[in-house]
Amino acid sequence: MDFFERQGKARRDTKLLVFYFALAVALIVLAIYFVVDLALFGGSLKHHHYGYDAAPVLSLWNPQLFLWVALGTLAVVGVGSISKMSELSQGGGAVATMLGGQPVNPNTTDPDERKLLNVVEEMAIASGTPVPQVYLLPDESINAFAAGHTTSDAVIGVTRGCMKLLTRDELQGVIGHEFSHILNGDMRLNIRLIGFIFGIMGLAIVGRILLQMRGRGSRDRNPLPLLGLALLLIGWIGVFFGHLIQSAVSRQREFLADASSVQFTRNPEGLAGALKKIGGLSYGSRLESPHADVASHMFFANGMAESLFNLMATHPPLEDRIRAIDPNWDGKFAEAMSAEIRLPGKYAPRVEQQRRPPIFVGVPMPQPVAAGFAPPVIRPETILPGLGSPVTAHLRYAADWRASLPASVEAAAREPLGASALVYAMLLSADDAVRKSQLEKLSNGVSPGVCEETRRLLPAVTTVAARAKLPLADLALPGLRNLSPRQFTQFTEAIKVLIEADNEIDLFEYVLQKIVVRHLEPRFTGARKPVIQYYSAKPLLLDCAVLLSAVAQVGQQEARQVAAAFHLGWQQLRMPTAEPQVLPPAECGLEKVDAALGRLGQAVPQIKKNVLGACASAVAADGVIKEAEAELLRAIADTLDCPIPPFVEGV
Amino acid sequence: MGLLLLVVIVLLALLFFVVLFVIGAYNKLVTLRNRFKNAFAQIDVQLKRRYDLIPNLVETAKGYIKHERGTLEAVISARNVASAASVRAAQNPGDATAMKELGGAETALTGMLGRLFAVAEAYPDLKANQTMMQLMEELTSTENKISFARQAYNDSVMIFNTQREVFPTNLIAGMFNFGSAELFVIEKPEQKEAPKVAF
Repeated sequence: MDFFERQGKARRDTKLLVFYFALAVALIVLAIYFVVDLALFGGSLKHHHYGYDAAPVLSLWNPQLFLWVALGTLAVVGVGSISKMSELSQGGGAVATMLGGQPVNPNTTDPDERKLLNVVEEMAIASGTPVPQVYLLPDESINAFAAGHTTSDAVIGVTRGCMKLLTRDELQGVIGHEFSHILNGDMRLNIRLIGFIFGIMGLAIVGRILLQMRGRGSRDRNPLPLLGLALLLIGWIGVFFGHLIQSAVSRQREFLADASSVQFTRNPEGLAGALKKIGGLSYGSRLESPHADVASHMFFANGMAESLFNLMATHPPLEDRIRAIDPNWDGKFAEAMSAEIRLPGKYAPRVEQQRRPPIFVGVPMPQPVAAGFAPPVIRPETILPGLGSPVTAHLRYAADWRASLPASVEAAAREPLGASALVYAMLLSADDAVRKSQLEKLSNGVSPGVCEETRRLLPAVTTVAARAKLPLADLALPGLRNLSPRQFTQFTEAIKVLIEADNEIDLFEYVLQKIVVRHLEPRFTGARKPVIQYYSAKPLLLDCAVLLSAVAQVGQQEARQVAAAFHLGWQQLRMPTAEPQVLPPAECGLEKVDAALGRLGQAVPQIKKNVLGACASAVAADGVIKEAEAELLRAIADTLDCPIPPFVEGV
Repeated sequence: MGLLLLVVIVLLALLFFVVLFVIGAYNKLVTLRNRFKNAFAQIDVQLKRRYDLIPNLVETAKGYIKHERGTLEAVISARNVASAASVRAAQNPGDATAMKELGGAETALTGMLGRLFAVAEAYPDLKANQTMMQLMEELTSTENKISFARQAYNDSVMIFNTQREVFPTNLIAGMFNFGSAELFVIEKPEQKEAPKVAF
């Protein structure tokens, strides 16, 4: 199943989820109705005055009671679900905060946190997604999760135990597992599930509260604690259904995510080691937060204690998971101890310098990116399958890329001032006159400290090769997320001013602006909910033509070659209509491409797959991916929410 | 019976929406409070960097400035005061006393550093020293970062305070004791000192 099929499946699963939920609510209403009916009958039995009142009758069907019960239940479930869903609509960060997580400062000097952030950064660069915000949960057990609506507002949460007790390789295995959830489109489904489950389990919470309330009337007439007990029991029915839904949705996925992680890191011992340590730890992967129950389908390992009410396991047994990765396992769990040796002193040098031996024997290691190097020869049929499925070569590339970045650039990317300055520096022109005017205009719009920092970073930034600049934008995102709303407005204004300073928008500027602004939107203007508006490709005919023409124009010079590339690409679209002529450059400028991408972004995954396949074919028409083509392809994939790993030769 | 049912349903619906509103407003306040606390964490990292740079600066200067011990010691003690204040503020970001204290300590520290640089002007060897130049550049860069982070923090605090005071939400804020947050203000020391006349 490729990336697009997985996305399609996740959407279908969401519809199934709504059905399960409705079914569960209906069954709960019935159950409560019967319990209340019995309770009232019991109450009327107790107060029956023999001889004075008519004999009490147990009636199984009482329409008025049913109506009240249904209304009450729907109200409680409705309030719970709606309030939770609106709370979580802000994005992955809301889930992390709900579970008691604290955001990890991208600027941190704590060596464990630094190690965690480095692992997450490398994986993000290797899979072509923006670097997600990382949250730390206070639990000493080992567990992790990934949450969000899209890759732009995704977060990764990790427990303190996970950070401190796992080695770097094991941490990589766990984070790889979480990234596979991000890339599979699981996150959206998970967030929706939390909302529904919170509504259903809300009855148990109401029951608990009622049980604690002492009635104000005389004791023996007071039905409240009894009702509370009843609600608690019913609530456990809700909890049962909740767990049932959770386990139906999540169990199989865990095996798949484990397999994806191993494919990504090509290091089964890492993930297996983490699982073994969970087995060996007395509190394993248990989470303390009272909200862990509603989110338990999202975690890396089982977050709830073994109990009568957790009969539906949301995760496959630990032993099965370990054996799936490590068939020769001897059945013994590992003891978890703090694995890394802490370096003394406040200025502990970066521990992340080790270089592993090359994995491809006979093929030269990728050149350090600080030097320029020839564009790689990429076969077009490898682009689409590679989408959303990064492999070890990409991870290696990401680690090397990071290691070759100048230290000042890497440090700057981590905090808001430096990250803004970095983006400005990348937009400064090579032409001296233009650069001067850009710097002048910049100093009018932003504080002098920022200008100073931009000037300071400029020499280092110019040494970074052109193709290595776009991943730098992804790296700078965590720092940029810490801007205040006002500073963000200034930032977008400043970017616009810098780009328009030379009166034309070139491809790199367009791509940079698009990526940065698009991925910061969820933080500053509300999370983007992906909306599907186009189910067939016919209305998108013109948009596809514009896009494909732009891609063909970028890579080819001669009109004949442009037309050939366009033709090659159009084949992939499988459009029912006749092929149009390739559009001249005037008709497929960047603004038109932007508009076209906006509409194409709202199409079903299958259409997006065809569009990307078409662009990849057009790019590969001459057998080589040039700088400009790679940038455009990256912007297209990014706008369509399809993470594309960096182009690495030999993959 | 029908009328009674209708009235109860309407009341239930009203209650439903009121409860939703309360939950929504509470969550919004919590989110905004977490934002400004996180914004303070950004300042804190840079402050710590600054406090770490200053002893190095003083050590380097000590070798050259032999007769101005008082100034050097004043810088170190101002740095220690500010460092302690920042730890207290980090435990309780937005708290009025802690923020005012930190603001005062930082202002004093900036003043002392200014005096140190003024004194260092008289020692050209010190100014030419590589380590000194590097340290001063890093210090300037850190101060830029502090001021940038401070802007972001003050913005978040204002947004939180506004939300806390606006009509429907202020009821929730009162109910759940959301205290108002304090801005982080550092005054420019030149504005406080009377102009010195030197001959």
